[in-house]
Amino acid sequence: MRNLILPLACLLAAVAAFFVFPYDLAFLTRIVIMIVFVLSIDLVLGYAGIPTLGQAAMYGSGAYAAGLFSIHVWGDPLAGLAVGALAGAAIAALSGLVVMRARGLTLIMLTIAVAAILHELANRARGLTGGADGLRGIRVDPVLGLFEFDFIGRTGYWYALAVAVAVFVLLAVIVRSPFGLSLRGIHESPARMTAIGASVYWRQITAYVIGGAVAGIAGALAAQITQLVSLEVFAFALSAEAVIMLILGGTGRLTGAVIGTTLFMTVEHIAAANDPFNWLFVIGALVLAVVFFLPAGLIALPRALTGLIVDKGGRDADRT
Amino acid sequence: MKIKGTLALGAAVSALAFSTAHADTIRVGVIAPFSGPFALYGTQYQQAIETYQAQHGTSVGEHEIEFVFKDVGGPNPDQARALAQELLIREKVDYLAGFTFTPNALAVAPLIEQSQTPTVIFNAATSSINRESEFFLRTSYTLWQVSEPLADWAYDQGIRTAITTVADYGPGIDAENAFRAAFEEKGGEVMDSIRMPLSTTDFTPFLQSVRDAAPDAVFAFLPGGPPTFTYTKTYNENGLRDAGIRFLGTAETEESNLQALGDQAIGLTTAYHYSEAHDTDANREFLAALREDHPDAVANWAMVGAYDGVHLIYHMVEAAGSDGPAAVESALGLEWESPRGPLTMDPETRTVVQNVYIREVERNAETGMLENAEKGMIATVGDLGWDR
Repeated sequence: MRNLILPLACLLAAVAAFFVFPYDLAFLTRIVIMIVFVLSIDLVLGYAGIPTLGQAAMYGSGAYAAGLFSIHVWGDPLAGLAVGALAGAAIAALSGLVVMRARGLTLIMLTIAVAAILHELANRARGLTGGADGLRGIRVDPVLGLFEFDFIGRTGYWYALAVAVAVFVLLAVIVRSPFGLSLRGIHESPARMTAIGASVYWRQITAYVIGGAVAGIAGALAAQITQLVSLEVFAFALSAEAVIMLILGGTGRLTGAVIGTTLFMTVEHIAAANDPFNWLFVIGALVLAVVFFLPAGLIALPRALTGLIVDKGGRDADRT
Repeated sequence: MKIKGTLALGAAVSALAFSTAHADTIRVGVIAPFSGPFALYGTQYQQAIETYQAQHGTSVGEHEIEFVFKDVGGPNPDQARALAQELLIREKVDYLAGFTFTPNALAVAPLIEQSQTPTVIFNAATSSINRESEFFLRTSYTLWQVSEPLADWAYDQGIRTAITTVADYGPGIDAENAFRAAFEEKGGEVMDSIRMPLSTTDFTPFLQSVRDAAPDAVFAFLPGGPPTFTYTKTYNENGLRDAGIRFLGTAETEESNLQALGDQAIGLTTAYHYSEAHDTDANREFLAALREDHPDAVANWAMVGAYDGVHLIYHMVEAAGSDGPAAVESALGLEWESPRGPLTMDPETRTVVQNVYIREVERNAETGMLENAEKGMIATVGDLGWDR
């Protein structure tokens, strides 16, 4: 039961945010979408231990697939999400077969390469994707035929939040399943997992595909809310920033992804609003501070603090 | 559709009503990059706005005008849309402005359509943006607007064959199409169209093949900064200049890059709508006012686009206050004298009609600085890409 406290507190905060910040729904919605994306990286990097800097490949595929689907086939948002998830999963499966054969730095390079190739493909296929101008003309029908997307973004927020909660629950079930435990085992020691008869390669691909589907959902959400998809969905900066958010919050914990993303984007938003010219300094300082003082991420903050009080040197805090 | 839009607006209006009741302060939201690799745009917009306010005050008629800046970083439509929503709903702005990149402008089109917010584009240069909403007004230029006159002029100068070399991305391809269409219409021949990867730093293979084909001219379109520098260097070193292959460009020699290009840039021909060296009183006054507060500022197209955009906003506020549709109506057909020359806001395309100048890079004998010296003028060019 104790495991439920933090996620429920996050959910409560998200619901409260709707009433406390009624004028910031567009920004809150972006946080929620980003949380879904960072959750996908948490599964891949935090649980399965696959180092990736190219998760935007799946995010972008999901965004373009959902966008094109709503323009040419059907404007239903949930169907769009399904298409986005499928596209993300398909790209992850195809690229995963090759990428998972590599290890370490080579693997990172390959994940970056996949995103870069898709970026170039989307740029070339101008007739289909709109190239650098972006894919426009996305029209989204009311959610479940009932809730129309409004100007202020109320529907958009509840819709994104509901999807995020569903994804969170799904991932929480997956990481606690035998499959999820075997992923942890692979993370700790691939050699030992092979020795006890688990197929490391196929399990990693499965995790990568599930992560790809979730990233695809995040991309589809972004496409539906913004009603425009640009080439930047494949940008390296997006993958990298999401990994920073995850590390900030704490890898290998789903709540870590939620907290890291929320904190990063909120600080970024406030800093950028107060000083649109020099706000990057604040972000840099924040990341440095967390990496130096809380190597396990913000999720370890309570333990680090109690450690500081209980034994005065705070040596325990480092051991977490 | 209209009714649907009005209903959706209803919710927003209750939030906006507050600002209409106190119409004495008109707020203008500026969405532009203020950080990262494109921060120069934001800085220039800000300097242009400050310069205009220093010259004309911060109020017009009974209205005080206040600018609110939001950093969008780079091409990022998600962020642009969220910022526009925040500006419209929370900050209660009556006008939007800025927009360096096409996707960012496109992303806010549905919003400004619903909230009826006049939106002045300071830079984004794809013709089709203005088709997405009648509340878009553009004080910069479009790629067709400068590329086509250049092709016409080149043909009139006796240039019959050309090769186009463009960076392989949206604007580059637009420029290639515009140049090719106009040049072939005149009767010239485009021997080859080379698309170069956006991130390339070595232009030798491309320019060597241009040299071997020996056209009369080479048309170039490059993103600003380092690529332009390497391109012009290669152009000289591979002997294209000595072989008499004329360089034709548009923004390549723009002022914020120009001094860095050095002597190798001398003689490069470009067609563009603004040169810092433009010889009129309006430009001299603008530059003097700019340098008063920002001694090191460089005036280029982005700055003058913002400066004219502010002029347009002041005019709309004076004519219509916070009434969006009336403000746009009052702007259509407006004529004024800008630092770049005479401008007219075209009622159909909502992009300014302006003169395009043929310039050559020269070293100013007095100041010792490089400048785009205007050698010819193609008068009153509208957005030629509107119907393409």
